[in-house]
Amino acid sequence: MAVRMNPGLVEDLARYGAEDVTKCFQCGNCSAACPFSQDPFIFPRKSMRYLQMGLEDRLKSSLEPWLCYYCGECSVECPRGAEPGETMMSMRRWLTAQYDITGLSRLFYRSWKAELLAILLVSLLTGAGFLAFGFLRGGGNLSVYDGPGAFLPADAVHVFDWIMGGTLLGLLLVNCLRMWHFTMGDERSPRVPAGAYLRHLFLLPWHFFTQKRYAECREKRPWAMHLVLMLSYVTILVLVMFFLRDLQSGPEIRWRVHALGYLASIGLLTTSILAIRGRLKKDAPYHKHSHVSDWAFLVLLVFVASTGVLQHVLHRAGLPAAANVAYLVHLMGVVPMLVVEVPFSKWSHLAYRPLAMFFAKLQAEALLARAGKPAPEQKPQLAT
Amino acid sequence: MAEERIGVFVCNCGTNIAKIVDAGAVTQAVKEIPGVAVARSYKYMCSNPGQEMIAADIREFALSRVVVAACSPRMHEGTFRKAVEHGGINPYFLEMANIREQCSWVHDDPVAATEKAKALTRAAVLRVKYHEPLEKRSVPMCPATLVIGGGIAGLTAALELAEADQQVYLVERQDRLGGNVARLDLTAPYLDSARDLLRDRVVRVTRHPRIQVLLESRLVELKGFVGNFRPTVKTAAGELLHLEVGSVVVCTGYQEFDAARVRQYGYGRLPDVVTSFELEVMLRKGKVETRAGKKPRHVAIIHCVGSRSREFHPYCSRVCCMTGLKYAHEIKSAIPDAYVSDLYVDMSAFGKGCEDFYKKAAEARTLFLMYEKNHAPEIRLAGTDPEDGMLITMKERLSGEQIEIPSDLVVLMVGMEPRSDSDEMAHLVNISRDKDGWFIESHPKLDPVATTTDGVFIAGACQSPKDIPDSVAQARAAAARILAKIDQGEIAVDAVYAEVREEYCSGCRVCNELCPYTAIEYDETARRSHVISAACKACGCCVAACPSGAIKARHFTDQQIFAQIEGVL
Repeated sequence: MAVRMNPGLVEDLARYGAEDVTKCFQCGNCSAACPFSQDPFIFPRKSMRYLQMGLEDRLKSSLEPWLCYYCGECSVECPRGAEPGETMMSMRRWLTAQYDITGLSRLFYRSWKAELLAILLVSLLTGAGFLAFGFLRGGGNLSVYDGPGAFLPADAVHVFDWIMGGTLLGLLLVNCLRMWHFTMGDERSPRVPAGAYLRHLFLLPWHFFTQKRYAECREKRPWAMHLVLMLSYVTILVLVMFFLRDLQSGPEIRWRVHALGYLASIGLLTTSILAIRGRLKKDAPYHKHSHVSDWAFLVLLVFVASTGVLQHVLHRAGLPAAANVAYLVHLMGVVPMLVVEVPFSKWSHLAYRPLAMFFAKLQAEALLARAGKPAPEQKPQLAT
Repeated sequence: MAEERIGVFVCNCGTNIAKIVDAGAVTQAVKEIPGVAVARSYKYMCSNPGQEMIAADIREFALSRVVVAACSPRMHEGTFRKAVEHGGINPYFLEMANIREQCSWVHDDPVAATEKAKALTRAAVLRVKYHEPLEKRSVPMCPATLVIGGGIAGLTAALELAEADQQVYLVERQDRLGGNVARLDLTAPYLDSARDLLRDRVVRVTRHPRIQVLLESRLVELKGFVGNFRPTVKTAAGELLHLEVGSVVVCTGYQEFDAARVRQYGYGRLPDVVTSFELEVMLRKGKVETRAGKKPRHVAIIHCVGSRSREFHPYCSRVCCMTGLKYAHEIKSAIPDAYVSDLYVDMSAFGKGCEDFYKKAAEARTLFLMYEKNHAPEIRLAGTDPEDGMLITMKERLSGEQIEIPSDLVVLMVGMEPRSDSDEMAHLVNISRDKDGWFIESHPKLDPVATTTDGVFIAGACQSPKDIPDSVAQARAAAARILAKIDQGEIAVDAVYAEVREEYCSGCRVCNELCPYTAIEYDETARRSHVISAACKACGCCVAACPSGAIKARHFTDQQIFAQIEGVL
C-alpha cells in the first residue's frame, strides 16, 4: 500500500522550528549517536526521512519524537548541519498540534502573534474576572488579603482552580486519546492485548516521576534540572489544589506547607532562570535553537513563580493591599500559562512523553511476540 | 651463412632470471653453436654498462649479429636495437630470446628452466643469421585535417588546429553548428549559458580563413593512410568533394535515448511527461508549463532513463545527475513555489564544483528520492482528466516505503547513446566500437584520443558519455597530437611491414578484406594488391592468408621462422 507524499510538509514543519531537515542526506550518524535509538525504534534518521518526504501519516503515527530527550548528540554528529535534535523537537511540537482536537495548538505553534494574543487575552480576562469577583462577590476590600472578608477568598479561588484544572485535564485526556488512536491504532502498529496495557501501566507514573530514561543520556545535568523543575511544579500544584487555604493564611508561617512551597519556588525559579540563561548563551546543543513556545513557557514560569513569591512576601510584610495586587497579577500569569501551555503547547509533554514510553514498550513487546521471541530486559542499551 | 659472427648476451635481470635459470650454463651452451663468436652473461644487460658491453663487443669481435637473451622484446627491444646500432651494425641484426616472461617467471624447476632457456637462446641464434638489414622510412605528412562533427568537440578541435595556422575541413551533417550543446539552456554546475559558450566558438570557426565549414555534408568515403588520407565529402549541393588531409578527428557525439522505450513512464502517452531536451526548450522560452498551459506545482525529475539498466544501457551517462540538479535549480527559479522531487538511483557528483552544487540543491529543498536500479518508478494519471496531474509510485530505498508522488510535470533524464549511424561511421574511418557502440580509443587510460587506425582520432561523446569540459579537453588533446605530427613534417614508418611480391600476386584480393588496418590497396589496372607500408602494423594476417604465398613479412621471413623452430627443437 503506497503512502501519499505531501511535499509541503517540510515547509509546514519549518514553522514549528525544523528549518534544516532538507540538508539531511541520510547517512545515519544521528541514529548511531543516539543513546536511545534501538530496534524497533530507530531514530532520528527515519523520522527525518519521513519528514523530508512528507509522509504525514507515518509521522503522525510515530512515537519516536517522544522517545527523544534532546541531548543534542545527534546534532553534534550530523555532518550536514541538518539539526536532527531540533527536528525531533519540532516534530514533538507538530505532533502536539496533531493530537490537539481544538486546532488551537496548531495556531499557537505556527504564529507567535496568536500565542501572545491568546496569553494576553486570557490574562486580561482573568484579571478582569477576579477583580470583578473580588469587588462584587468577594470581600470587596482590596486591603484584606486573608481570613474572613478576604478580597479573593481562598475557598472561591479553590473552586475556580478545580473547575479550571478539571477542564484542562479533560482536554488533555481527549488529546491523549487521540494520540493513542494515531499511534496504537495505526494500521501498521502491532495489535496490543488489553492485558499488556494493565501489566505495564506502572510505566506511566514511573516515567512521569523519575524521568529515568532522561537520566540515560550521557550528560546528567539536563535530567537533574528537568527533574527538579518537574518536582517543583508538581509540589506547587499539589499545594495549590489541596492546601490553598493553608498557603494563603497568615501572617504566621505554616511550615507544614510553606517549607515545601519555598523549596518548590526556589526549584522553579532556579531551573527556569538557568534554562533562560542557557538559551540566551546557546551553551549546549539543546539550547541552540529556541522556538517562541520555548520562550513563552520559560518566561511565564519565571513570571508566575516570582509573582507568587512576591504576593507571599508582601502579605508577610504586612502589606495586604499590595499582596492582593501581586496575587491578582500572579493569577493573570498562572491562568494563561496553564490554559495555553498545558493542553495546547509545550507543557503537554508532561502527558505525551510518559504515554509514548508506555506505548513504545507495548509495541516493542507485541512486535517481539509476533516474531516469536521473549521480551528483552527493559533497560535500553547505552551507546558508549 | 657460416661467416656470420654472432655475439650472445645473457641477462640475469638481477635475480629475476638468475634465480631459476643458470645464466652461466646458457652462456656456455651457446658458445658451442657454430658462428657464436662471443657469449657473456651480465647482471643487467639493459643498464648503461650492459649496452656499452654489447657495442664494445661488436667492435672488438667484429660481430655481425647480436642475440640478447633477457626479457620480452616488448620491454627492451628498442633499447638493444639502439645499442646494436651504436656498435655500428644495422639495428635489425638483433634478436631477443625471452627467458624471463616466457621462462624464469613461469617455471619453478631450475634444471628444466635452464634447458628451456638454452633452447630459446639457440633458436634466436639460428634465426638471427637470416636477419636482413632493414631501413626505417618516412612518408610525407599532409598538414590539413578533416574534423567530422560540428559540436563542441569538433568546434574546439577545428579552432585549435586553425589557430596553429593549419587547414581544417569541418564537416557537419546538420544545417547549423553547435551539436547537442546548442540545445541546452544553462550548463551545470556553474550555470553558465550554453549559448554563450557556443556563440563565440561558432563565430570564430565560421569566420576563420583556415577553416572550411561544410554544413549539411557528410563523409562518404575515406581512402589512404596516416598523413595521406583522401576523404570524399558529399556536400549540401550533392557534389562530391575530394579532399586531401593528413589526419581525421571524429567528433560525432551522441544521440539521446528514446524515452518511449521505458513503458512505465508513459512518454508519448501521458502529455506532461517530457524529456530533458524538451524541458530545455521550455527553459529557453522561459515558460515551464504543463501541456494545458498551467504552471506545474509538483515537478518530478527521474534520473537514469535508459542508463544503468539491465534492459537498456548498462552504462552511466555521466551528465544527467548534474543536469537534473540544474533543472531543479532552474525550475525553482522559474516557479518559486514549485516542489521538485529528484528520483535517482545514485547521485554521481564527481566533477569539479559538483558536490557543492548537489548540496545547494538539497538546501534549496529539492527532495531526493532513491529508487532501486532495476525497479524503476511507474507513472499514471491521478484521475481521469490529465489536468488532475499524475501519480508516480515507487519504492523509496532510504525509507523503505512504497510511496506515491503527486506530479504535474515529469522530466525524464534521457541518457546518451551512440548515434544510430555510428556503425556506418566506424566502417568509413576504420575504427572499432565497444559492446555499447561507442568508438574505442587506443588505450583507455594512456591514449584516450587515438584509435587503432593511425591518424584517426576521436574526441567528445562519440567515445563515451562525456560532459563539456571533458569533450573540450579531448578535442584539444587530439589537436595537439595532430599538430605534433604536422610539425615533424613526415611520418616515420617502421621497417617491419608486409610486402606483396607482385610477380606472385594473382589479384585474388583475399588479403584486402582481411587486413584489420585497411593497409592493402588493390590496383585495378595492374590487378595486383599492394601494401601501404605506412599503414601496415605487421600483424601477418595477409602473409598467412595469401594463397600464392606472395606476401612477405619483413623481419618475419619463412626462412627466419623455420630456423627459429629448428633452434627450439
